[in-house]
Amino acid sequence: MEEYAREPCPWRIVDDCGGAFTMGVIGGAIFQSIKGFRNAPSGWKQRFAGSVVAIRQRAPIIAGNFAVWGGMFSTIDCTLVHFRGGKEDPYNSIISGAATGGILAARNGLPAMVGSAIIGGVLLALIEGVGICFTRLSAEQFKPPSLVEDPSQFTTPSQGYPS
Amino acid sequence: MFVRVSWPDQKAQGLNCLHKMIDFRNNSGAVDADNGKYNNTNIPVTSQPSLAPLSPFLNFDPSYLPVSQPEFIFPDGALKQRGRFELAFSQIGAACIAGAGIGGTSGLYRGIKATSIAGETGKLRRTQLINYVMKGGASMANSLGVITIMYTCAGIGLTWLRGTDDSFNTVAAAATSATVFRSPAGVRKAGIAGAIAAGVAVMYCLWNNGGLSVQRMNGWKHPA
Repeated sequence: MEEYAREPCPWRIVDDCGGAFTMGVIGGAIFQSIKGFRNAPSGWKQRFAGSVVAIRQRAPIIAGNFAVWGGMFSTIDCTLVHFRGGKEDPYNSIISGAATGGILAARNGLPAMVGSAIIGGVLLALIEGVGICFTRLSAEQFKPPSLVEDPSQFTTPSQGYPS
Repeated sequence: MFVRVSWPDQKAQGLNCLHKMIDFRNNSGAVDADNGKYNNTNIPVTSQPSLAPLSPFLNFDPSYLPVSQPEFIFPDGALKQRGRFELAFSQIGAACIAGAGIGGTSGLYRGIKATSIAGETGKLRRTQLINYVMKGGASMANSLGVITIMYTCAGIGLTWLRGTDDSFNTVAAAATSATVFRSPAGVRKAGIAGAIAAGVAVMYCLWNNGGLSVQRMNGWKHPA
């Protein structure tokens, strides 16, 4: 993962779609295994069988929903980057999150669209905020130990050789 | 041995030094060794953004720079190709999008057929068509995506186990993923799926490595 970097724009859609699908598969498998285990009739064998059935039935659907979200999100993100003249900032992500939420709820009527758009925007704003906080915190430790405020300090003589 | 210098002391020392050494602020040229030939020696040593294009290090023939082909710099000992893990998300995403396209198209075809048989028109038919497309696209995308996840996991695992990344990994990963995906349908069907996947992977590897030329076949027969 150490070499992992975000792809340039048109390919980012494919990449994000795959990443979201993977996330959905893993998360869905964990959730559905617990759910299937709890809902199955008693007996270890039956519980594990219920787990497997639940994963097989539901995890791909959850993954597919995630993938649609990720793909739509980066499609709008790339479109915004294109039309705003190559700008990639937190507003981009927030706008595309809200738009994605709205578009994907398009079949459920206008109130559902508005609600989903607000949820999407707030979610992405939170993610971006956390990201900015992490960047700030990690940038803190790479700061030079003391910034020079006075130009005279540039010529601090090396110890032992006074001129 | 370390000598602790208190803060104002150090500052004063620095100021003193500045006056002695690099005081170019008022050089009239009269008393200098170069007889005032260079009367402005007040040239900054540090780089300045406005002077960057005038850097002497850029003073060379630009035709040395290759523009026709990209020049990649690889770290020592690194593979000249991205690893399976870095390609995994792209492959999964490509499989999902391709599956959505194929499934959506076939769903649209089935929907048009079914709705014209049922004689639905207008709004009802439109909603029904959307339902068909969504259903077909989602199921195909999910299946292909899950197969690709299995394939990438198997590929990464095999690469990790064997320590190398070659065509054998591709074939074995394809066979494994297809077998696992079809395993609920029974041993026989799973085996058939695995065999088909292995065949497809072999063909892909042959195409990817430049086909079956005579030189390559001789190279396999008589390894250097």
